[in-house]
Amino acid sequence: MSMKKKRTKFIIAPAVVLVALGYLVYAGMRDAMLYYLTVSELKEKVPSIYGQGVRLGGRVVEGSIKWDPIALKLEFIIADEKENTLPVAYKGVVPDTFKGGVDVVVEGKYSPQGVFIANILLAKCPSKYEAKT
Amino acid sequence: MNDIGYLSLVIAFGVAAYATLAPILGVKTGREELVRSAENALLALFGLVTLSSAALLYAFVTRDFSVRYVANYSERGLPLAYTISAFYAGQEGSLLFWTLNLTLFGTIVVIQNRRMHRALMPYVISILSAVALFFLTLMVFVTDPFARLPFTPPDGRGLNPLLQNPGMFFHPPTTYLGYVGFTVPFAFAMAALLARQLDDAWIRSTRRWTIFAWFFLGLGNMFGAEWAYGVLGWGGYWGWDPVENASFRPWLTGTAYLHSVMVQEKKDMLKVWNLALIIMTFGLSILGTFLTRSGILSSVHSFGESTLGAFFLAFLAVIILGAFGLLINRLPYLRSENQLDSFISRESSFLFNNLFLVGIAFTVLWGTFFPILSEGVRGVKITVGPPFYNQVVIPIGLALIFITGVCPLIAWRKASMTNLKKNFLQPLVTALVGGALLFIFGVRHLLALLSLALLIFVTATIVLEFYRGTRARHEMAGEGYLRAFFILIARNKRRYGGYIIHLGVLMVILAITGGAYKVEKEATLKKGEEMQINQYVLRYEGLSLYPTQTQQVAAATVTVFNQGKKVGKLTTEKVFHKDEQQPHTRVAIRMTLKEDLYIILAGFDESGTATFRFIINPLMVWMWLGGFVMALGTIIVMWPDKRERRRAARYALGEAPDAV
Repeated sequence: MSMKKKRTKFIIAPAVVLVALGYLVYAGMRDAMLYYLTVSELKEKVPSIYGQGVRLGGRVVEGSIKWDPIALKLEFIIADEKENTLPVAYKGVVPDTFKGGVDVVVEGKYSPQGVFIANILLAKCPSKYEAKT
Repeated sequence: MNDIGYLSLVIAFGVAAYATLAPILGVKTGREELVRSAENALLALFGLVTLSSAALLYAFVTRDFSVRYVANYSERGLPLAYTISAFYAGQEGSLLFWTLNLTLFGTIVVIQNRRMHRALMPYVISILSAVALFFLTLMVFVTDPFARLPFTPPDGRGLNPLLQNPGMFFHPPTTYLGYVGFTVPFAFAMAALLARQLDDAWIRSTRRWTIFAWFFLGLGNMFGAEWAYGVLGWGGYWGWDPVENASFRPWLTGTAYLHSVMVQEKKDMLKVWNLALIIMTFGLSILGTFLTRSGILSSVHSFGESTLGAFFLAFLAVIILGAFGLLINRLPYLRSENQLDSFISRESSFLFNNLFLVGIAFTVLWGTFFPILSEGVRGVKITVGPPFYNQVVIPIGLALIFITGVCPLIAWRKASMTNLKKNFLQPLVTALVGGALLFIFGVRHLLALLSLALLIFVTATIVLEFYRGTRARHEMAGEGYLRAFFILIARNKRRYGGYIIHLGVLMVILAITGGAYKVEKEATLKKGEEMQINQYVLRYEGLSLYPTQTQQVAAATVTVFNQGKKVGKLTTEKVFHKDEQQPHTRVAIRMTLKEDLYIILAGFDESGTATFRFIINPLMVWMWLGGFVMALGTIIVMWPDKRERRRAARYALGEAPDAV
């Protein structure tokens, strides 16, 4: 085999692997992409956003939390910096760091009834205490 | 003391600037004494940073809350161990901790190389000092660890209770040791480029550093996973969180580097690639440090407000542009005579190993940064969650396991049919039989089945290697099998230590594979009620509420029956700190080699009725066992070897290397 042919061969194999990797990433993105929105951005996208998977970030409004510790049903209001708010409903185990005033990320769908139905709830875990008030 | 701490940093800043410039000047003017003085300056730097660290530690231990950092991360009631760990709990302290480790490593490098690598050392000193200079700049001018509060509060704010456990005591320092450790091979690589000394001396002399850094970074990830699993209490150990990803990436490229340097040592190939890999690894380490600090990505880790983002970004740009620019400039010196001969060869399997590892690293990088990219390009933040990573990483991971079995045994250059048959026929048959048996006994999850079959294949290749080596010694030297086995390892530490590390990795992958059979169930139980999950019956015995000195505890006890037999009681708790609204849930875990039974107390009411989340995590304990086995293998690989040291010393002094 000539040198040149050989070199081509060894470029093709990694190239094939890279294309395969590229495809995996592409397919993964296609299936797993989610909008990451604030409350205001979500409201702008009504009605096309109904029923779509969304990740929503914001702050838990103090005093808005309703928690049923037996049914594990949690309701609270999430707000963004512009003080646009949205009710959120979640069912499941609530992270310890969840409380009024903390930043949370919820993942789920916005329903035409005006409630964000979350199936994932993440609360930020600050490396230090918030100032005690 | 605090003034001494800050003053030491200021002086250290000046010393670091000197140690960065002097050696370069020394080379340009041919004045060796400048290089020597820079080496001594690096030693002094270590002394100064140690003094400063001691001052901060002193402030913590003496509860000097006039120091803002101390007031923010500790309080009077905090136990001593966590008061010490509070040192690196926040931004300023971790910068200081980084610098402390870096200057310690620099000192060791100087002492090790008083008579070796004289052509490289000026640049090595300069680069190590420059990195230290960056961190000192941050501490002296931007975020002073010793900054005072306008008034001294009576008590500190304390350390987040989530951080008060052994996992979090070890996770940050081990991760940092890993990040910082990669600075040394990076500095040697850059020195080799600058000095145009592009044989593999820089690789050989930093092999232990690289393994050291790689090991600690892996350990850091492992402690993090252990903490997430045992303390964070959501039933998993890895969530593809941006900050987890941040420490995973340099580990991946570091792993690729550790493997591909072997090709350069043996075959003088992949020179450019190895340099690129170490630049990437160091860059990703800095990126990791930066991401943890910056809060630009939403993460459960975010350290909140930070002013350091722009500095780190600039530093990272300098590293990447500077290092790759230099690499491109030196390309003419990096030609290799050798070429790949065949796909069916050790070289090519290394190549694929590297492609897969770096492929995973870039996938993870892409996924982590996609929200920022999409916002910049299209104005909408789009994120990808764990499903993306699992979907992409699992197939690549499976290919990687396969390569792990093939790579160490396949012949260099071009493998013959005989070579393939001799090394792979038995393992392949074992894997097929094993896979078939697993299928018959009910393993129908396709990816899990494939993963298990591959694990059997690789394990078989390793066992075969140990068996053959031991038998050969037994027959030739007449040693007993056990003795032959240990001498085999002792005489070939790199090779057999490497196999042991591979075994550890396989155990970790076994645990990950077990995740395919994870079972989760939520149940609300009244006192005395039972529920079933798989073969377990769980009876809720009731809730007990009691106060301790600083806490209010609610403890739910569950009796566990395994296939009808009582095997014990588990208690899961919610702990309320007296002056915090935030509860802390303590999960209960029953570990066996087969599976973990994991119980979370999710909620309860006044009547004592409680809601639980029960999880079965199959094979989970193998992850931690795998970590121990990897540690054992690493110790073997790193163990000083007389023959190797003699060879390295001769080599470094410029004599011709032995044929290896």
